[in-house]
Amino acid sequence: MLKVRDDRRDLTRRIEVSRIVAGAVFSALTFAYWYIQIVQGDRYFELSENNRIRSVKVTAPRGYVLDREGRVLAENQPAYNLQLYRREARNLEESIAFAARTLDLPPEQVRARVERGLRDPEFLPIAIAENLGLEEVARIEARIPEHPEFAIAVSQRRLYRRNGEGAHALGYLSEASPDQIRRFGGVYRLGDWIGQKGIEASYERLLAGANGERRVVVDSYGREIDEENRLEAEPGQNLFVTLDAELQEIAEAYFRERVGAAVAMDPATGEILAMASSPGYDPNTFTRRVTAAEWNALTGNPDHPLQNRAVQNAHAPGSVLKVFLAYGALVNREVDPSASIFCPGQATFYGRVFRCHKKGGHGWVNLRNAIKVSCDVYFYNLGRRLGIDRIAEYARAFGFGEPTGIDLAFERSGLVPSEKWALEKRKARWYPSETISVSIGQGPILATPVQVARAIAGLVRGGTLPTPHLFLASQDPATGARLRYKAESKPGMPIDAASLALVKDGMWAVVNEPGGTAFGSRVPGLETGGKTGTVQVVGREAIPRAGADRRKLEDHAWFAGFAPLEDPRLVVVVFVEHGGHGSSAAAPLAKQIFAKRFGVALPPEPPPLLRAAAPPAPAPAPALAQARLAEKPLP
Amino acid sequence: MIPRVFVERRLDWIVLLSALSLAAIGVLFVTSASQGRFPGLPTRQALWIGVGLLAMTAGVLVDYRRLLKLSFLFYCASLLPLVYLLLFGERIANVKSWIRVGGFQFQPAELAKIATALLLAYLFENEDEGRLRPGTFLKLSAIVGVPFLLVFLQPDMGLASTFLPLLAVGLFYGGLPLRGWIAILLVLVVLMGGGWFLLKDYQKQRIGTFFNPEADVLGSGYQVRQSKIAVGSGGFTGKGYMEGTQSQLRFLPVQHSDFILAVIAEEWGFLGVLLVLGLFAALLLRALTLAALARDRGGVFLILGVTAMLFWSVTVNSAMMIGLLPTTGIPLPLVSYGGSSMATTFLGIGLILGVEYRRFANA
Repeated sequence: MLKVRDDRRDLTRRIEVSRIVAGAVFSALTFAYWYIQIVQGDRYFELSENNRIRSVKVTAPRGYVLDREGRVLAENQPAYNLQLYRREARNLEESIAFAARTLDLPPEQVRARVERGLRDPEFLPIAIAENLGLEEVARIEARIPEHPEFAIAVSQRRLYRRNGEGAHALGYLSEASPDQIRRFGGVYRLGDWIGQKGIEASYERLLAGANGERRVVVDSYGREIDEENRLEAEPGQNLFVTLDAELQEIAEAYFRERVGAAVAMDPATGEILAMASSPGYDPNTFTRRVTAAEWNALTGNPDHPLQNRAVQNAHAPGSVLKVFLAYGALVNREVDPSASIFCPGQATFYGRVFRCHKKGGHGWVNLRNAIKVSCDVYFYNLGRRLGIDRIAEYARAFGFGEPTGIDLAFERSGLVPSEKWALEKRKARWYPSETISVSIGQGPILATPVQVARAIAGLVRGGTLPTPHLFLASQDPATGARLRYKAESKPGMPIDAASLALVKDGMWAVVNEPGGTAFGSRVPGLETGGKTGTVQVVGREAIPRAGADRRKLEDHAWFAGFAPLEDPRLVVVVFVEHGGHGSSAAAPLAKQIFAKRFGVALPPEPPPLLRAAAPPAPAPAPALAQARLAEKPLP
Repeated sequence: MIPRVFVERRLDWIVLLSALSLAAIGVLFVTSASQGRFPGLPTRQALWIGVGLLAMTAGVLVDYRRLLKLSFLFYCASLLPLVYLLLFGERIANVKSWIRVGGFQFQPAELAKIATALLLAYLFENEDEGRLRPGTFLKLSAIVGVPFLLVFLQPDMGLASTFLPLLAVGLFYGGLPLRGWIAILLVLVVLMGGGWFLLKDYQKQRIGTFFNPEADVLGSGYQVRQSKIAVGSGGFTGKGYMEGTQSQLRFLPVQHSDFILAVIAEEWGFLGVLLVLGLFAALLLRALTLAALARDRGGVFLILGVTAMLFWSVTVNSAMMIGLLPTTGIPLPLVSYGGSSMATTFLGIGLILGVEYRRFANA
């Protein structure tokens, strides 16, 4: 049904009028643009050329890093940098020559920096040199009227206090690499600093804050005449880490002459109270802009000072593994703790002779004493009975063979061998004789110190494996608002009170009973337990390779301990590469750390002969009370 | 019967292609204006164009006469978020004109523009006397006045002003006699005198700056001055895509949205401006032709309403770029960065196309 068309002549006429109006308006606009762009174009082009706008970065102060007691570990100090605004340079070659001459830098180096900056927009400065001395700043400032393209910028430089202690846990800052710039998607620019390792890298976004920017107009002498725009910087969060600088200091001092790592951890929460790795490095080297020679010294060092041995190096755990096998076998009723085995000093399995570390043998030993004296023959027999797959099952239940999830990058997962592993990775059958080696923690089983610490925590606190971590709390510098770490854990081996008591008793005997392998390292007045480990690193065939470096033939030394015996609050793991025996090379540091943490004053080291005859420990009760007092709350 | 449908339903390629070309130029220059600063903007812009194309398709496919019948409902529904904003809205950039949903922001006023245009068309569907009756005049004033006031109070003068073309459409095409125009002019003069006292300080400042840009060189006159330098320095052929010193200096805080034409003018020169204005002229003049050809009065007024609003935004935006009008925060439709404007402009284009699409169709 068609609607009758109404009379639209009026309407059509008005639409015609509006077409003409619209056409006229568009013509007028076109004329106006023509006037500005063509008639006045040259004038405006000149104005745009004279628009000397500079972008000046307002560096956000990076958050401080403080230890659990509020002691400053990393802070900032002002640094003066030379920048070049190439838009204002009359002749770039002249500018390069001037900078090189004035600062005594190789011209190629300056030119390389300039060329790298040419890709950026013109109003952004090119970083030429950092950390100028005051005298250098004065020399540049004096010549700026002739070289208005240069500017001195004040930035913040990271300063690590405490002589680089805890360097591996803290990490360091250096210039963001092109790859990192891409990864963070435009937040960083060339020349910006970024956390490279440790918590500086793990909590980069928290610590860094957000840089601000000022848009300033400068005159032809490079003087700032006006500010057009300002984006305030957002300061980074302060970070409280779980480290205790005093414990850290003790650990670092111990490792001054040694190679290895130590971890002290609260087994209830996973808080890392100390983490040392040796050899170390001074993170301040990087914020001064590391020189080629320094870099080569660090990377060329055969001991790899940049590596964090506490999480990045996995070694055979040696006899430390025995306590986990003992507990696993006890829980699963696979060993009778009262049954004794005779240790003649060696035993033969599968046609091969395996020695005990004690030449004459330990005689009759039961489970408790086997832990105490670390009898190899006892554990050879236990291991043979369990078989490699059962051993692997127990080791995994304590978190071996997987990363602990600590808040540090590059963590190694270690290795737990099994028959399946041998077939898949080694393409060869598992040899039963290897099981014998693994049962005392030798052979292809590998663990990092932090894994061992978590495993001990899982053992002595019965069941759960706490996730080790360094983050304690972050604090907003403006409001003071804090964010605390939420402790995490994963289930370990089921709790069995009787078995646990037995293993802990054995570990107590290691430290506190004459004949225990770490008897020399007991802490008077404190109930500690532990286990030593001594790992043969080189088979006989490797001896000729080591050549002149006798040190490389020494065994690796382990000690893993905890205190107090009831409700343990501290686990200490010490690993000394080529240190010799666990008892003499590793346990003494644990003793010092326990003593410090629980407020026990240690007498000055007596001569070794007197040590065996030291008076028995006083009742533990007062020491425990002291221990609680010593645990100060967070500031 | 079926072949007839194919013959009678037709898309207008001039309108469609001009709109798509403008949107493409927009993405190109949003990329240039935001490079190194907001890396995600071009993608978001493209996404919004996608949303817009869906809205446009809907506008074409749904019979506009059905929409006209429901227009009062749409109109009321579109005003609700505006009322909500006034009561509970949070201020973003000094005005309460955004609703946030998840990561996206939306300006409900943009949708209200389309709803108002629909209701306007419905109002005039049966007004065939050739002159504006007093009752229609009052209804028209109310229809346009309510959303205008709601947006004006946000307070977003620029956005509010985009409703005024609808009033003009009603008055002019509805046939307001000469004495009516004179009366309105008188009322306006009186209101402007009084209105000065009602304006917010920053609005007064902008208007003051407009009349004397050199007085406040680094304040609000700064934008106009910098934008003129950008446009003027582009010359005939421009400095090259992504090569504009003014644009890459990011001298303006909103160069990817309101000031996008300055970026185009700087980097593509007068030729670029000719291209953009030419495309708009083609789109709008063609839309007027379609209006004259529309099957019924509702269709005529629907096209006129949408076209008038587009014309207003294009004119005001390109005039403020070179200091001919004060900076009011009106984006360049289809080209400027901004999701709500993009989506609803395409919806409007869809309605124009829809009217043409059904030109020969029977009810």
